[in-house]
Order: sequence, then C-alpha cells, then structure tokens
Amino acid sequence: MIDLDYEQKKRIGFTYVLDLIQPTSPYGKEALRHILPASVEQEQSLRMELENIAKIQKILKVSEQAVIKLLEIFQQLRYIRASIEGIGGQMSEVDLFEIKRLLIQLDEIIPIFEEINTDAQLNNITMVQTKQALMILDPEESKIASFHISTKSFPVLATVRNEKKEVEKKLREAIVPEEKKALQAIRTGLVNHEQKEEQKAILWLSQKLEPWRKILLDNIDAIGKLDLTVQKAKLAITYGGCLPKIVEGKIKLTNMSNPQMRSILNQSERQFTPISIEMKAGVTAITGANMGGKSVALKTLALNVLLIHYGFFPFAEEAVCPVFEAIHLISDDLESSDRGLSSFGGEIVKLLEIQNDVCNAETLVLLDEFARGTNPSEGSAIARGVCAYLNKQKAFTVMTTHYEGVAALANAHYQVAGLRKLELDAKALKDMQKTTLGERIAKIASYMDYGLIRVSIDEELPKDAINICRLLSLDKEIVDLIEMHMVL
Amino acid sequence: MQKTLFNLIQQYRTISISGMCKNAGKTTTLNNLIQNTPHSEILALTSIGRDGESVDTVTQTHKPGIYIREGSLFATAQDLLQYCDVTKEIIENTNIATPLGRIVLIRALSDGHVQLAGPSTVQQLVLIKEMFKTFGADRIFIDGAVGRKSLCSRSLANASILCTGASYNKSLDETIADTAFVCNLLMTEEMTEIKTLIDVEHLSQKYALMGKDISCYPDSSDMSKILKQAKDAKYLYVEGAITDSFLKSMIRFGFPKGLIFVTRDASKLLITEETQRKLVARDGRFGVLERINLAAITINPYSAYGGHFDAQEFITKMSEAVSIPVINPMR
Repeated sequence: MIDLDYEQKKRIGFTYVLDLIQPTSPYGKEALRHILPASVEQEQSLRMELENIAKIQKILKVSEQAVIKLLEIFQQLRYIRASIEGIGGQMSEVDLFEIKRLLIQLDEIIPIFEEINTDAQLNNITMVQTKQALMILDPEESKIASFHISTKSFPVLATVRNEKKEVEKKLREAIVPEEKKALQAIRTGLVNHEQKEEQKAILWLSQKLEPWRKILLDNIDAIGKLDLTVQKAKLAITYGGCLPKIVEGKIKLTNMSNPQMRSILNQSERQFTPISIEMKAGVTAITGANMGGKSVALKTLALNVLLIHYGFFPFAEEAVCPVFEAIHLISDDLESSDRGLSSFGGEIVKLLEIQNDVCNAETLVLLDEFARGTNPSEGSAIARGVCAYLNKQKAFTVMTTHYEGVAALANAHYQVAGLRKLELDAKALKDMQKTTLGERIAKIASYMDYGLIRVSIDEELPKDAINICRLLSLDKEIVDLIEMHMVL
Repeated sequence: MQKTLFNLIQQYRTISISGMCKNAGKTTTLNNLIQNTPHSEILALTSIGRDGESVDTVTQTHKPGIYIREGSLFATAQDLLQYCDVTKEIIENTNIATPLGRIVLIRALSDGHVQLAGPSTVQQLVLIKEMFKTFGADRIFIDGAVGRKSLCSRSLANASILCTGASYNKSLDETIADTAFVCNLLMTEEMTEIKTLIDVEHLSQKYALMGKDISCYPDSSDMSKILKQAKDAKYLYVEGAITDSFLKSMIRFGFPKGLIFVTRDASKLLITEETQRKLVARDGRFGVLERINLAAITINPYSAYGGHFDAQEFITKMSEAVSIPVINPMR
C-alpha cells in the first residue's frame, strides 16, 4: 500500500507533477484520474508501461507529425463510454449518433496508430479496426458525422415515411379547416407508426452492433493509455526524466530534481541543486543544518520513487529502484490533531501502524525529522532508538534528523553540503561586516549548497548554525557565549 | 399594402422573440414568421429555456404547437426529442446541459411538430447560433421567455420582436402603458459620442464618469458625492445593470443637469416607470452603447385568464403609444 495521503502527495510535489500533464482526449483524462500505483505483482506490466514511454520518446524524435495529428483527433473525441456500454440493449438515436461519430474518428485514428506502432511496437496497446461497425450505422457510406435511421435496411419504415411525406405535402396546400383536420389525423397515425418502426430499427441496430461493444471499449481504453503515455513522454522530455531500472534490493537515484521545488526556487531566482542518493535496506540517515535542505532531499526522493510506481519516468539522470509494496512517509506535519494527539503523538501512532511492514523488504519508510516536536534530550534518544531498530529490519528507511548521534546507528549517512564551500577566515568575516544585512543574507543563500554528500556514519553534524550567526554579524559577545556553551 | 411581420424582419438573420407575459402570443408570432419565410431559406429554431409545449405548464391553457418544414434545423433538449414528430437527423450533440438533457441539433427530414427547450443563458444561445450558421442556416429564430430582455441583445439577435397580450393585465390601458414603457426603454438612444471616448480600460471598472475628463470608479459608494462635484459631467457609464435602487439614490442626492446614464444595452436597464419619470423630471436620461433593434410589437387580444380585449381597439391604441409597427399575428 502506498500510504501517502492527499496532503502528503501535495507536499512532496506529486500533485504538482500530475497537474503538469494535460491529456488531450477525454479517455486520457479518465486514465489520469484513475491512475493507480503498481503493486509488486504488477512489476512486469510496470516495466512495460515505462518502456512504452521510452518508445514514444523515440517516435516523437522521428515522426512527431504523426503524433501531433493523432493528438488533434484525440482532442475532438467525446466521452461516450455510457453510450458504448449501452450497445446491445435500449439505445437512443443520440447514442447511435455518438457511436457513429466515434467510428468515423476511429477510422482516422487507427491507420495513424498502426503507422506509429509499426516503428514503436508498444507493449499492451492495440487497436482493432472497426470499419465493419461503421457500415452498420452508415450503410450509405456517407462518412458524415450526423445520424438518422436510414431506410436502407427497413422497407416498412421506408413505406411509412413516404406515406407521411405525401400527407404532409397535402397539408401544406390544404386551406379548408376540415380538410386540414382530417389530414392531421392521418398524419398522427403515420407518425405513431413511424415511431414504432424506428424503435424496432434502433433495437436491430443495437443488436447488430453488440459484437463491437467490447472492441470499442478496448479501443477507447487503448486511446486513453496511448494519450497518457504521450503526455508522460513529453513531461520527461521537458523536465528531464529517465527510464528507471526496476531491480530488487537497491535504490540509486542520480541528480534527481523536483519540478515543484524548482519552480518555487526559480521564483526567487535561486537554483535547485540536483540530489543524488544510493541506498540499500536498513537506515540511510540524512543530516544537516536547520536550513531546509534535508526535507527537500527527502521529499524529492519520495516524489521520484512514487512517480516510478505510478508509471512515470523519475526526474533523474539515472534511476534504479525496486517495486515497493508499501511506502510510508512520516512527518510531524501529519494531520494528527483530529485524533486529539500532539504532532509527536501522531508520529508514534503512525510508527505503530507500520510496524508489521518494516520487517518486509518491499517496504520503504521515510521519516522526516522524527521526534522533532518533543523535548531535545528525549527526542534525540527516541530518534536514536528508532534508527537502531529500523536499521536491523529488512525495510528501506530514510531518516532525516538534526539530532547528534543518530547517523552513527544507520548504515549509510548523507549530509546536506550546506556552507562547506565557504571559507570562514577572519578576512572574510571582516568583509562581511561591511555589507548590509540584506547582502549578507543573499551571500549565505548563494553559498548554501542543498546537494547531498555521502559521508561516513560517524561524521559529526556540520556547525552551520553557528557559522550563520557569525556571517550575519551577530554581536560578538553573543557568539562567544554560544561557543562557550557548545563546549560545555 | 400593410407590411407583414416577416417583411419587418426580412433583412435580419437572427431574430429573437420575447414576451411581456406568458400567453402573450410568442408561439403564434413564431409560427407566423415560419409560415411566411420563403421555402428556399433554411430556417433554424431554438428557445431560451423550455417553450412550445402543447399545454402551458403554468396556466394549463391550450397552446399552439410549433410546426416546421422539412429541411429546417432546430436545437432542443434530448428528453424532448420524443415529442418532436419530424423525421430526425441528429447533426450535433452539444456539451450544453439542461435539466432535460443535453442540447441536440436536429435537421428535420420531414415536416412536423417540434418542442423547443434551448439553453438557459445568452452566451450558450450565441454558441448555438454559431453552430446553426455552420450547418447552413439562412435565418434563425429564437423563442424567448418572459422577462428575458437580454435576448434582445445585439450580440445574439439582429432584431427583436416584443409580444404583448390580454394575459398581461385585465386593463387594456395598463397593458398598453406598460408595453410602451418597456418598448421605449428597449429602444433607448445610442450614444455615438461616448463610443469613441470609452475604451477597454474604462470597461474594466464598474463606473466611468465622463465630462472634460474621464474618471473611473470600482464601486458606487461615493458616487453621490462625486456627482455633486462633477458639474461638467455629461455621461455616467455603468458596466453592468442600472438598477432601480441605484438610480433612486442618485436622484435623491442629485446629479449634474442633463447627465446621461449609459449602459451597454437597454437590457441592462432594470428600472420602473416611476423612477424613469423622476429621472426625466430631474433632467436626466438614459443612453446605450448599442441600441436594441426592436422591429415590431405583436399583440394577442385573448387572455388565458378570461376577459379578452377588442382586437381592433388594442392594435389602434398600441400603435398610438409606440413608434414601431404593431401587428396581430393571428390575422
């Protein structure tokens, strides 16, 4: 079970990504609305789905025009699933109109699809010719997207309509009221007869179409799948995505990105630093100063793993990832208030809930600043305890923390690069003091590196907090006092 | 020779018909137009909301049906197709939803009766009108509903017909007075000068006061104060409706002599006769950017509630009260 609620999906930027794609057909939109993550049993079909994206990307390079033409027709499609499902039973003339129009559109779509598919060889997307079905609704082969019950197959109906027309002709010329009335009465009788014959004709047509019902439903599903795949392929081209390798026992994501974070940073003219991470089962700890980088890294990892499960290319240069049966994200911004718990209480309840899953290798647990909300001495002990416990389990766990001593109990340790690049000599500090506060903040932001660096598990936490105090030119007396307390 | 109703609208492509009340003879008027339209023309029909039932659902009186010729187009809600006895060709199923199903466009493959239930907004009607045109309609009639002055809007119709009748009021004189008031209001004069002054920027604000300069205001909270100071103001343009209560407060607080209250078109003037009289007494008047083209008034001397008018008296008095032709479509 992918245990992320709507709010969490929104926060990690998953909802943002889904909103970036706009299928052109109503069936593509439907497929997107009903999109579900793959489970472990669906690993093979997930692989094929992901391969399809790569195949479409290739097609977009060599014969983009065909795809554009296809999408143009897709855009004109109407959502008529209910009319198709009604084939074989009671139908209306409007249903038949809609089905005839779809058949005309399919007549255009299928040859283009076949042409594309000869090159692409897409997995699990096929369409069946429906020319014969169109003949049923368009016996005159007019190919005009309007519908009337043709008298071609219904001689009785033809006779009634002709008789009716004769009466109507007389009615146009009639002047005497009595004569008019008499003609109107005859016409009413003929109208009733015509309607009865039309009902019979509709039923006959409906039954004649019956064998095509399943084929039409499969065809619109194929259109939905194809449309969505094209959109996924375009998304990966625009934002940089790669075909992930689905492999057990290892996660490797190189230079990951997160479109939502990227857009937020770009608004304030900052750059998103790509994030790379490689991990095995047990705990991977991410540490760093309280400047946000840890959370961004965790969210970006969550986003990209989730995208793979939903059949999207992850936004990364290289991706290796297993199919997880369960993905859990625990952060203290969980909605716990409705259960009458503090945010910390909420985290513990969540931990209880996932306990059965953690002994399973097909589980990914993401803990964002676990136990941040409680007092620091207990919080630190809790974080260490939980880390030691999870590190013995088969599940993959990623823990961000700013507590000292947690990473030492994990099996891998990443640090947000932070202010590493900044040389803090006396001269630099002196130069800093000459600048305005705004310039100082900008300077820190420009030196802040949100990338992840693999370090040894016993690497100490970077002392970025005190450096930030210095850089912002906090009063020397306060800085000295802070340093004194750090030693204590 | 006296002009027929069709003669009066002959030069216009889209014609809307609206009524002072129910049973004012809208359908009779429509049938009159249908009958007199040359057979060579492709006619297209729709309505705003539901109309054309054989029995009026409010007053239970027998109503005339709409009978069209082979080749005509019409737009109606899907659920009403079963009551249309023409042989039908469905030419379009629109996205416009109504309580009676989506609006469907039909080509009549035979003569016959139709029941119309078109879209409920003017914007949607404009869409239907455009579809009719693409399907080759030469002339489009839009059957209206009571109190939908917006149907007369030039964005929808090139010309309009106003129907009035004995069902409006037991008193012939009051029926005539009220019809004449509505008619004159609809025909409010077009302000050509202001059209050259006004631009998109002004239209984005709710109020624009125009004299030597143009100043815009998003709301009317200080309007009475502003008007007091603006001695040289000539026009007050209001984007949206001029309501009775707005106008009453302007009259109470006073405005520069000769000020013209301008709206986009006369369907936006939602005021009573009494308020208009007071406005005129204070030397104010109305103007519009786009004048509604009211081609004729039709009368129905028969009341659904009993108490019919004398047809000759009705037509004579009505003709005296308005400057446009008055026609009895039953004759």
